[in-house]
Amino acid sequence: MAKKATPATSTYSPSPTTHKTRPPIFRSDDVDWVRPDGRAFHQCRPAFFRTGAVNAASGSAYAEFGNTKVIVSVFGPRESKKAMMYSDIGRLNCSVSYTTFSTPVRGQGSENKEFSSMLHKALEGAIILETFPKTTVDVFALVLESGGSDLPVVISCASLALADAGIMLYDLVASVSVSCFGKNLLIDPALEEENYQDGSLMITCMPSRYEVTQLTITGEWSTAKINEGMQLCLDASCKLVTIMRSCLKESAATVSEE
Amino acid sequence: MKGLSVGEKLFIEGGIAQDLRTDGRRRLTYRPISVETDVISQANGSARVRMGGTEVIATVKAELGRPNAMQPDKGKVSIFVDCSPTAEPTFEGRGGEELATELSVSLERCLLGGKSGAGAGIDLSSLIVVEGKLCWDLYIEGLVVSSDGNLLDALGAAIKAALSNTGIPKVNVSAEASANEQPEVDVSDEEFLQFDTSGVPVIVTLTKVGRHYIVDATLEEESQMSSAISISVNRHCHVCGLTKRGGAGVDPSVILDMISVGKHVSEQLLNKLDSEIAAAEADEEE
Amino acid sequence: MEFVSPEGLRLDGRRPMEMRQIRAEIGAVSKADGSALFEMGNTKVLAAVYGPREVQNRSQQMSNQALVRCEYTMANFSTGDRMRKPKGDRRSTEISLVIRQTMEECILTHLMPRSQIDIFVQVLQADGGTRSACINAATLALADAGIPMRDIVTSCSAGYLNSTPLLDLNYVEDSAGGPDVTVGFLPKLDKVTLLQMDSKLPVDIFENVMQLAIEGCKAVANYIREVMLESTKKLEYCRGA
Repeated sequence: MAKKATPATSTYSPSPTTHKTRPPIFRSDDVDWVRPDGRAFHQCRPAFFRTGAVNAASGSAYAEFGNTKVIVSVFGPRESKKAMMYSDIGRLNCSVSYTTFSTPVRGQGSENKEFSSMLHKALEGAIILETFPKTTVDVFALVLESGGSDLPVVISCASLALADAGIMLYDLVASVSVSCFGKNLLIDPALEEENYQDGSLMITCMPSRYEVTQLTITGEWSTAKINEGMQLCLDASCKLVTIMRSCLKESAATVSEE
Repeated sequence: MKGLSVGEKLFIEGGIAQDLRTDGRRRLTYRPISVETDVISQANGSARVRMGGTEVIATVKAELGRPNAMQPDKGKVSIFVDCSPTAEPTFEGRGGEELATELSVSLERCLLGGKSGAGAGIDLSSLIVVEGKLCWDLYIEGLVVSSDGNLLDALGAAIKAALSNTGIPKVNVSAEASANEQPEVDVSDEEFLQFDTSGVPVIVTLTKVGRHYIVDATLEEESQMSSAISISVNRHCHVCGLTKRGGAGVDPSVILDMISVGKHVSEQLLNKLDSEIAAAEADEEE
Repeated sequence: MEFVSPEGLRLDGRRPMEMRQIRAEIGAVSKADGSALFEMGNTKVLAAVYGPREVQNRSQQMSNQALVRCEYTMANFSTGDRMRKPKGDRRSTEISLVIRQTMEECILTHLMPRSQIDIFVQVLQADGGTRSACINAATLALADAGIPMRDIVTSCSAGYLNSTPLLDLNYVEDSAGGPDVTVGFLPKLDKVTLLQMDSKLPVDIFENVMQLAIEGCKAVANYIREVMLESTKKLEYCRGA
């Protein structure tokens, strides 16, 4: 081991000059600080949904939460690949990718494997896969702009796109996350808040059935705080789902008018 | 996973319902755990953990690097898991990659805490050598050698054991360099600093089969699960991370119940693991 | 660089014709049909065998013999410097092929038509001679799986540095760039099944070096036989005979 002891000066690593200092507002002992966008701690960003964003897809949806902009298209149900074995229930294939311009630093625009598998796990419990045996439903999510809480937005938007595609669901899936700063819980964190959070909790649920399909916690949490965070998320997702539902109704109304 | 017959499925489910599983365990009993440390000589620390038919190896390598500009007072830790095809033929080629990513992400979530570094099981500030300039980068690698269910718990235990086996070379900063230069350092190859692992959490996975939940599920039992929750719990009985697996929806109150059961189980596991690690290290010294 | 000191000792203190400590353990992976761990000094290799079983890919099925497949993987921590290699790089593809061909030759494939045998070798620690260690581990794993074989194949390497033939090169000696002869040997049939060499060597010296490697193979074979015998005795005892 001692041979490799020379400091790694030979490699050039550009260090971003932005965000070098910690913003002083994120101090856990300070109760009066305001969030960068002026929201209250338990206030979500305004949510905007629109279905039918992509014509070529069987169903699609666009979602905008503050700066987070996401587009999801659903293809299928269509024939599974030949190499796949026979299956008496349908398959779900999810992929989440970022555009190269979605982040402040130009990214690779490649698939985010972690989010893809999370999206899959969040949705598979809500889809009635028995209704389309031997076939595959593809869900492609593209994050146009990353502005914090990307995965929850992707999940909610994907369930709306699935509904738009006419795929049988037990319920719409809504997802909300909270960030933890010291003693405080912040719902629907923006990107800069996410970068300094002490922990986070994300819930994906089907509000009408009152069931959680996915839950992740990072950081150190006491049971009381988990309780509080979960309740906060569940309430918010109930409200979120009504917005999603009204968006679906609206699009259905325009279709019937035509 | 080989297909199970209807009879076998019923046998597993029925056994779990009656609190007597196919291998004679109760619902909340672990299989015997055996820990062996210092199994890979090239690494700074390593351990092999066996839980029944499951066998994993974890290694820790420390390299000097530059701390992140956002956190100049902290070192860096990254976790990678590999699934060897020896464990399961389907892991051949790229077959194991999906599971490997899932395990790596879950482990990072359970052990590394939030973005700000709070709640991390590994004390990142102890890895700093010169603030803002030089720190230790820990590379934790897990390898699944043989798989018989409950890989996440086994990997968590192996990482804990490997970390307590890790000796980080002592570094002497020879000259105080100016603000922009990298300081000159001298890495000792005789003196090692022991790593404090008292804060490293253990991971407990509760697998829900039917209406009951079990710990340390075997591969057969895992194939019957509707969902599973992995909780990492530290010495202070705080949850340090949680991951849900399996697509089926679960009522929120059930999740809270599972968390409290998980905490209870983790205490026993933590004590068992600590004594196993101590025994393994004593063995090694002999 | 001096690889053999004037006193006739190598870098790790061995004599030129001395092998590293070898150790083998049968049944290291409980879920596999056959498995073995093989150590040569610091080189540590795990092999697992699955099969004979149904052929996964129908188009590869052969009606007159079994299909033998092999995959060689190196753990990320197996070498001194940490790196993450993509799977299936050229070196591992080549070694997979070498192991597959060597093992296929000694398995009685015609006895198991329309079936498939998978050999997976995983390098846990690499310190030179991984190729040989992999073949030895695979032999033991195949024997543990109860797959009919003509004979056991054993392998050992030898090199030629500082005008001295050296048995069983370690990593430092291997990377010195000198000739490196790897031999696969069937001890009972007294036949060579695998022969590979890097670099160049005069023919008369080559014969010496190869003979040395063959001697190494024989020594490995003796040890492997002992291990197999012991494990069979254990099985017999478990059965209560």
